[in-house]
Amino acid sequence: MVSIEGGAAVPVSAYTQVTELSADAHACLTFGEADDLLDLTAAFVRDGLASGFRVVVLSDSPQLAAAKLGWREIAAEAAVAAGQMVMVASQDGLVGPQGFSAGQAMGWLRDQLADSRQQGYAGIRVALDMSWALRPMTGIEELPVLEEEIAAAVSGAGMSVLCGYDRERFDPVTLALIAPFHSHAVAAATYYDDPVLRICRQYVPPGIRLAGEMDFLASEALALALGEAIRIDGDITINMANLSFIDASSIRMVTDAAASLDPSRTMVLRCRPAIEARFAQLGADRLPQVSLVGVDEG
Amino acid sequence: MKGNERGPDPASPGDSAVLADTQADTAASEARLALDQAFDSGTLYALRAAVQAHAIQAGLPESRTDDLVIAVHELAANAVRHGAGAGRLRMWERDGALHCQVDDSGSPASGRDAGPGGNVADRWPFLQGHGLWLVRLVADQISVFSGADGTRATIVFFPAKDPPVSAPD
Repeated sequence: MVSIEGGAAVPVSAYTQVTELSADAHACLTFGEADDLLDLTAAFVRDGLASGFRVVVLSDSPQLAAAKLGWREIAAEAAVAAGQMVMVASQDGLVGPQGFSAGQAMGWLRDQLADSRQQGYAGIRVALDMSWALRPMTGIEELPVLEEEIAAAVSGAGMSVLCGYDRERFDPVTLALIAPFHSHAVAAATYYDDPVLRICRQYVPPGIRLAGEMDFLASEALALALGEAIRIDGDITINMANLSFIDASSIRMVTDAAASLDPSRTMVLRCRPAIEARFAQLGADRLPQVSLVGVDEG
Repeated sequence: MKGNERGPDPASPGDSAVLADTQADTAASEARLALDQAFDSGTLYALRAAVQAHAIQAGLPESRTDDLVIAVHELAANAVRHGAGAGRLRMWERDGALHCQVDDSGSPASGRDAGPGGNVADRWPFLQGHGLWLVRLVADQISVFSGADGTRATIVFFPAKDPPVSAPD
């Protein structure tokens, strides 16, 4: 667990925004929550599809990943049907039946590149959820070799690769070994992060995400996050699906921000039923700009 | 929806603050004190966790537990933000109802010139996020009194829709 004493705003300057990756980037996405991986992957996929690139998403469960991308306004199924997108399970891509080997994994990746070129795509984006590498398997010591070879392969190839590593589950030694082979470090822009609360930017759909317990002690960070969110165009989403508590002053701050929006814009408040009821109690549902959306969790 | 207008509760203060003080203290000492916890800005999270755990143990339904947690939080937040900066929560069960008493320890903050006694609920910061307004909405009973030693707020949550009826002896 990321623990910053006393809770603090986190500098984001060391990281590249996922939306600013070049066409031949080899980016290392480190995340602390599954939501971060999905959200940043969604932004990477969205921008790739919009650029007309082939997009390959490797994960442990392609079905689940497609559903979660679907919520984030990525029409994964349609893109797959059209051939522009490929959803693949880890064991059908980077990992072979005999375990892992850097050579076999690179062979799969080169096949993806060759196939996208053959289909006439101007470029290819590959998102790799690396959680498969947490499982004990033979050959896993070759992981740094794979990362080194990806770095060499992307150069000038019109291929960008986003490698997602869970920083809570991968050991620091492994992360330190693989990090230098990446051209960019990517993480969610974070406004507040301590063991009780996390406030970060949400890329797709645009807005912010609150997780944990929100109260007035983090009001400055919330104000900053809301201020940045409402400066972008269009509708914004405040994703509170993983928020278990929010106090009255924070609710007031969110509804004040919503009320300041032009009535043509919508602020979607995604929250658990108990939080949704609290917003309604304090009158948020009477604002024309607010759309309260209940979610079970996650 | 709630029972603010319900009949007198033995543990809730009457019109006289002095009497209320005595009654509340007596009630707290006679009943089994479930929780007695000091708080400041750094321990509000722990306070909420403790209140939630005790409310669940006392058999309060989930939605009412959420209500109790936010009510106690808002009272404690008032003490932290606009009162002494710290305080103390005492929580006890009496006749099946949960009583929470939040004391803003120390002298009242400047500008809250309550004088001895007087109900200063209307001088609490209503506009600061509507915290107290929300407390009034969710609690079955609430009383707020301020004196030379600070402010004391007591809220009562009945376990069911209706307040408990005393069983015949």
